[in-house]
Amino acid sequence: MPQKPGVSARGLGKSFGKVTAVRDFNLNVNHGEIVGLLGPNGAGKTTVLRMLAGILTPDTGAVLVDEAPMETLPLEAKRHIGFLSGDTQLYQRLTAREMLEYFGELYELPPALLRQRIAALMDELDMESFATRPCGTLSAGQKQRANIARAFLHDPDILILDEPTNALDVITGRFIVDAIRGRKAAGKAVLFSTHIMGEAEYLCDRAVMIHNGTVVEEGTVPEIVARSGRATLTDAFLHAIGADNQNPERQRGVQQGQVN
Amino acid sequence: MRPRIVWTIFRKEIRESLRDKRTIRAMIILPVLLYPMLILGISWLQNSEEEKTNAHPSNVAVWGEAPPALRSALAASHIDVKQDAPMPVKVAADLQGGHVPPMTPPKDDEDSDTNKKEKPPADTPLTLAARQALLSRKVDAVLVVWPRLADALAQGGLGHVAVLFDSTRPASDKARDRLNQAMNKFREQEIALREQQRGLKPGFSEAVEIGAANVAPPSRQAGFGLGMILPFLLITMCLTPLFYAAIDATAGEKERNTMQTLLCAPLRPLEIISGKFLAVALIGIVSAGVNIISLSLTVARIAHDASTSGSVALSQYVLAFLLLVPIVLLTTGIFMAVSVFARDFKEGQSYLMPALMALMLPCGVAAVPGLELNAALSFVPVANIAMLIKSVLMGEVSGELAFLTIVSSLMYTALAVVAAARVFSREAVLVGGGDTVRGFLGLDRIRVPRPGPGAAVLVFCTALVAAFYGTLALHSMGVTYAIAVVEIAFLLAPALIAVKLGHFSARETLLLRMADWRGLMAGVLVGVSSSAVAAGIGMRLIRPPADFARALQKAMLFDNTQVSLLMLLLVIAVLTAICEELLFRGFILSGLRGLGWKAVPLTALLFGLAHASIYRMLPTFLVGLFITVLAWKTRSIVPGMIAHAINNGLIAVLVRVRPPWFHAEHMQNVPWSWMAIGALALAIAYALIGSKKTEPAAPGPEMLSAAAH
Repeated sequence: MPQKPGVSARGLGKSFGKVTAVRDFNLNVNHGEIVGLLGPNGAGKTTVLRMLAGILTPDTGAVLVDEAPMETLPLEAKRHIGFLSGDTQLYQRLTAREMLEYFGELYELPPALLRQRIAALMDELDMESFATRPCGTLSAGQKQRANIARAFLHDPDILILDEPTNALDVITGRFIVDAIRGRKAAGKAVLFSTHIMGEAEYLCDRAVMIHNGTVVEEGTVPEIVARSGRATLTDAFLHAIGADNQNPERQRGVQQGQVN
Repeated sequence: MRPRIVWTIFRKEIRESLRDKRTIRAMIILPVLLYPMLILGISWLQNSEEEKTNAHPSNVAVWGEAPPALRSALAASHIDVKQDAPMPVKVAADLQGGHVPPMTPPKDDEDSDTNKKEKPPADTPLTLAARQALLSRKVDAVLVVWPRLADALAQGGLGHVAVLFDSTRPASDKARDRLNQAMNKFREQEIALREQQRGLKPGFSEAVEIGAANVAPPSRQAGFGLGMILPFLLITMCLTPLFYAAIDATAGEKERNTMQTLLCAPLRPLEIISGKFLAVALIGIVSAGVNIISLSLTVARIAHDASTSGSVALSQYVLAFLLLVPIVLLTTGIFMAVSVFARDFKEGQSYLMPALMALMLPCGVAAVPGLELNAALSFVPVANIAMLIKSVLMGEVSGELAFLTIVSSLMYTALAVVAAARVFSREAVLVGGGDTVRGFLGLDRIRVPRPGPGAAVLVFCTALVAAFYGTLALHSMGVTYAIAVVEIAFLLAPALIAVKLGHFSARETLLLRMADWRGLMAGVLVGVSSSAVAAGIGMRLIRPPADFARALQKAMLFDNTQVSLLMLLLVIAVLTAICEELLFRGFILSGLRGLGWKAVPLTALLFGLAHASIYRMLPTFLVGLFITVLAWKTRSIVPGMIAHAINNGLIAVLVRVRPPWFHAEHMQNVPWSWMAIGALALAIAYALIGSKKTEPAAPGPEMLSAAAH
């Protein structure tokens, strides 16, 4: 597979007041590749993703998006990115369709193309039934599907997804997982964060583990598991962040499916 | 900034707001209901009260012997004589015995207002008894008739009566009016009788009849009552929908986390704030329109009912509406800058409440009776507009004060917009919750060599307000020193302090470098010619009143012979040129440079505005334009200083020395020949510097990012 970099980060650092959220963070996500960003809550996942999407400006380091530097050509870089976060709400008083039209205009899509994209995404994500209802009245799953449509609307080369399946039921989660795989097949670069190891194992070509704002382990899932000498990705993850021996009780809870 | 993007954001904000019941309620429903309810309600209450008193006859106790003619006059004036509150026996005995002196009439009989303010007479047994009778509510007033009234009248002598009433009771006040009317009628009858009996002509005793009519302009009469409370009401009502819309567009987006979807879209912070600002401002402007329309219809309805002469012209409403626009813009800027700090809607409300209070307080100033707009008040934000609306509704507006008010209001608005734009470029505010003051003021930013447009506007406004109040404060100092102090302390100092605080490069910002001979030559040429052209065009287009030039010359010391010509030149030409050039062509032009060529007319416009007069605006704008082009092309402050100094010095010398070929007339009406020569000189000057290749003094990308901040 050709290793064409989609988004890359070099030496990213970010502090909020006296708290250092991220330091010396490096990452490459190539086209046609899905990379999982794994880490416990507060590890700095969201801060990293926000810097990559241009929402936050890093204190140090640089972000390149399809070779456009985020710092000097932010508009050019942002045009290539679709960003989705699990905790994003929608405009309560706009319908799902109006919301999509709004963002289409903000991304300067030509009207004909915009109509076509909206129709395709509504079909793919099965949105027709609620397209004309105000977003404030939608269920959590419907909202997140509308949100995915927003992130995919301008057909971005790079998808940055911050815990996209957070608090969703199995059906909606499946929509998202399918959509991510579909984008990979179309040669897009996908970076998503999660703390659900099963999802990561199923989706990622590569995983990057982050702890205390810096990368602690990186590689394909089998590589990481092999290197750690543990049986599962969850154990390997706990090993990587140094939490496997200190707190057996926590570990048991984690093995049931989630890391918190 | 891309207008299409701003338009898209604007449309979406408007659409969302129109679907918000709170905004609609505050923007349309409330004003439509408020004015009719308030004004009609008040006048209905007043009318019904008045009708009630008019419909009922006044109950009056007559203490003493009233002759039949007097009794019939009372009956004719709608007065019922009541027996329920008889005179106490003791008082009656005193009165009958001649122990009660007659009461003297009040000084100004006709003016009830004066009467009310007058000190009440010392209590006597008679007045105490009358007070008691009135307190019992059995009668509305007491008519005291001194003994032997009929005899005195029959003999052609002076009879005595007195009306005792309680001004705080409308019914008693009415009774007094009726009694006065009845007594006047009775007196006129008596006088007519006497004149007839003695064979005198009617009018002999009256001698002079004094007519009177209230000639206050009808608009003032109608506007007076309204003017007191209306500015306050109008402004408050316009601000209410802004309150919700501003929070919704800022804190609301943060609460729902939709802000980050905007931030990761290919948008500039300035586009986001512009779209939102315009949408919120439009809501305020529509609200202002609805308020004014509702108010005008209500007033028209009352005027129709009362069929009084008082009415407010359409143009007055239009003016009042136009004056609300700067207030709406100012408030929008402040509200958005403040509410974006809030994390959610609730927090937004608690942040905006103090801001709303702070804006409404100066509005209250306009409601203070007797306080009218003056030069000092015209610079107080919000209060100035409130006062101006008051004078507009009263139908009297001073052009100069209105100009000052509007200029200063637009200035404060610009500051508020700059603040809002600044807040929106702070990611700490947009993404998270708070921000540090240092961070907001830009003190911890990466240093840039030159200031941005925001800093330029900030320094301009600071300098202008400081200079304005400074001039008032320094009035006693003597004009020469006052001008010198103003120039140095209020115009030069802000520019220098801003350079220091912003850690800008003084050389780059203030263009502190020498120009070559062509630049210097151009400076001299512009100096000798700019005023001839500028005044020639400016004075022809906007003609100042005759005494304006004289007042100006006095203010500028030109005809003050106590000041030596040398001193005059030193202050008016040299000092002024140095200080004003460093501020305008130095700091402000550098700050605006990021906007491209527009910086040149903008700098000239600010220069014109700074002269704070509608008549000097155009000529000073033109002179400013000529000089700004010099600084822009040569990238040196020196040619501008030379031109400015020569320009000012030339005028001073001409007015002082008055060479035989120069007439005062020439100041107002610059001869065409002079203008032609001036234009030629300007052309040569710009040809000189235009032919020269301007060195690219590194305006690169860092300048653009500085401009965006």
